[in-house]
Amino acid sequence: MSKSTLSRSKPYAQLAAYLLFCAVILAVPSFVTDAFLLNKFARYLALGLAAAALALSWGYAGILNLGQGVSFGIGAYAIAMHLKLKTSPVHTGSAGLPDFMVWNNLDHLPWFWQPFHSSLFAVAAGILAPVVVALLLGSFMFRARIAGVYVAIITLAMLAVVNLLFIDQQAYTGGFNGITDLAWLEAGSVTFDPYSPAFYYLSAGALSLCLLLGLAFTRSKAGLILQAIRNDADRVRFFGYDVAAYQSLAFAVSAGMAGLAGMLYAMVLEFASPTFMGVPLSLSMVIWAAVGGRGSLLGAAIGAILVNFMQGSLSESFLDTWQLILGGMFILVVVFLPNGLSSLIGILADRLTRPARQTPDTALAALSEAPRAGRTPS
Amino acid sequence: MAYLELHGLEVSFDGFKAVNGLDLAVERGELRCLLGANGAGKSTTLDLICGRTQPTGGRILLDGQDITSAPEYRRARHGVGRKFQVPSVFRELTVRENLEVAHSRHPGPARTIRLFPGIRLDRRIAEVLEIVELADELDTRAAFLSHGQTQWLEIAMLLVQDSALILMDEPTAGMTIQETGKTSRIFQRLRGRHTLIVVEHDMGFVREIAETITVLHQGKRLSEGSIRQVEEDPKVREAYLGSGGISHA
Ligand SMILES: Nc1ncnc2c1ncn2[C@@H]1O[C@H](COP(=O)(O)OP(=O)(O)O)[C@@H](O)[C@H]1O
Ligand SMILES: [Mg+2]
Repeated sequence: MSKSTLSRSKPYAQLAAYLLFCAVILAVPSFVTDAFLLNKFARYLALGLAAAALALSWGYAGILNLGQGVSFGIGAYAIAMHLKLKTSPVHTGSAGLPDFMVWNNLDHLPWFWQPFHSSLFAVAAGILAPVVVALLLGSFMFRARIAGVYVAIITLAMLAVVNLLFIDQQAYTGGFNGITDLAWLEAGSVTFDPYSPAFYYLSAGALSLCLLLGLAFTRSKAGLILQAIRNDADRVRFFGYDVAAYQSLAFAVSAGMAGLAGMLYAMVLEFASPTFMGVPLSLSMVIWAAVGGRGSLLGAAIGAILVNFMQGSLSESFLDTWQLILGGMFILVVVFLPNGLSSLIGILADRLTRPARQTPDTALAALSEAPRAGRTPS
Repeated sequence: MAYLELHGLEVSFDGFKAVNGLDLAVERGELRCLLGANGAGKSTTLDLICGRTQPTGGRILLDGQDITSAPEYRRARHGVGRKFQVPSVFRELTVRENLEVAHSRHPGPARTIRLFPGIRLDRRIAEVLEIVELADELDTRAAFLSHGQTQWLEIAMLLVQDSALILMDEPTAGMTIQETGKTSRIFQRLRGRHTLIVVEHDMGFVREIAETITVLHQGKRLSEGSIRQVEEDPKVREAYLGSGGISHA
């Protein structure tokens, strides 16, 4: 059975699966007390969020964004700028300049760093700046009706440009090293030590919220129109929908989620680095989403968490082989399960519920004058 | 002023003028048939009206408004609906989802993001489903429909879209006699409430539905009038010389 049929005919099963997942990740600190493990899990959740964001644009709208790292990186740098400023008096004395600026002979804080003293501003920027970038790039691409592989190429090129820009502007971004030695985020009386349950809850809460909002988005009529656009963009136009506006919307929502993921990732690792905008990480996100199932935000998130969990359980010396295993896994899934591991659940659920659902069906058929046709062959 | 007016409409594909100075006026509520040999420019004319193809000359007025260079979605919002010669539905989506997409009274994302298509059918969709007899296939993916059913699904989508001007490109192609009869009955119901432009080869069907016929030839209007007038037009006879008249076009 196809994923779209599944998603629309079993709305409650889908919602239940999402809620179950949220409950499970939120329950983890009740069973895991090891700080390092919690930190590790929080990192996986951040990457899961990035993969879910990718599924939104790729799986639903057919926009293969190979430059997810742009949004992810901007989010990471936005929060890192704030957390760096919080450490400044400690690290550089009364001038209040981040250490790398001192090394680069800056004598005052650049104007665009100023507002990052506010945590609220930094968090807003970490989400909204990627949204604005995506809206600009998106409206340029989608108004020009650029689609398919060309979108992949442009987003990849964009990633390379942004990555170089951040490395090049060393005095403002910390260059190759990025922004390191970050303070902890504080909100009210809570301090989000990345090794604390509080931080884990922050990550799990952010992922849960995004998944549920994403589910609502994909199940709205706008989500349906995005699927129609993925199927046949030209046909959608003749029904009066502004295809470019819908594509830009999906691209921007995905960018906002990826920005949030980047913020969590920078906080969990306590640094922001240009590698967050590197090609390898963005391509990995594509693989995670494909393995988990790009047609489902939850599937993609689980894909990212599983792959990273497996990777994290291996010893350092094994990492080269791991790349091989990951590549092999990607090929296997693409060939045998084009909709990812999450479609496996759909197939299993279908098998399990079929007999159960046939009982009321046959009962109804016996009662009604004109029995309906049997199950559709989908 | 007529509801739809084409003035000197022209489109050139690498120098070849598929539509070449076409003038056409269709009144509100009219059912107009477009006839012409293969390659006469009928489909291209519909493409120009719905915005799939941009004209290289001339003007298109819809309800007094110049829509010559408006993008497709704006024309659709102005009330232009199109059925394509090759049935064109969303194959990955179910019948229900296809109809839901076609139901486009509020096409803006700010609105659709707050709409949640439920299990319950919209009244209009339910009505249309009865007409096209696809009620049992609601949750079937369009890819699994037969050719005839796909044809019906696209017609259903147009009915749900409820456009003021409906452009039909060979709606009965590949249909059985019974299905053609049903299509003709649907058209009888639509006439008056909607303006229809129908490209059709089946002369029996044309006889059943047509009031006014426009004959195209090499991208130009060759003749126009009732079936009888068109059939007796010497220009039409000349153009179709040897093929035994327009009835065998
Ligand atoms: N996109 C295109 N590019 C080049 N030639 C085209 C294109 N579309 C149509 N034509 C040509 O224009 C002519 C009219 O085609 P069409 O409108 O499809 O005819 P019909 O009356 O059979 O529907 C044909 O000769 C066709 O080959
Ligand atoms: Mg044609």
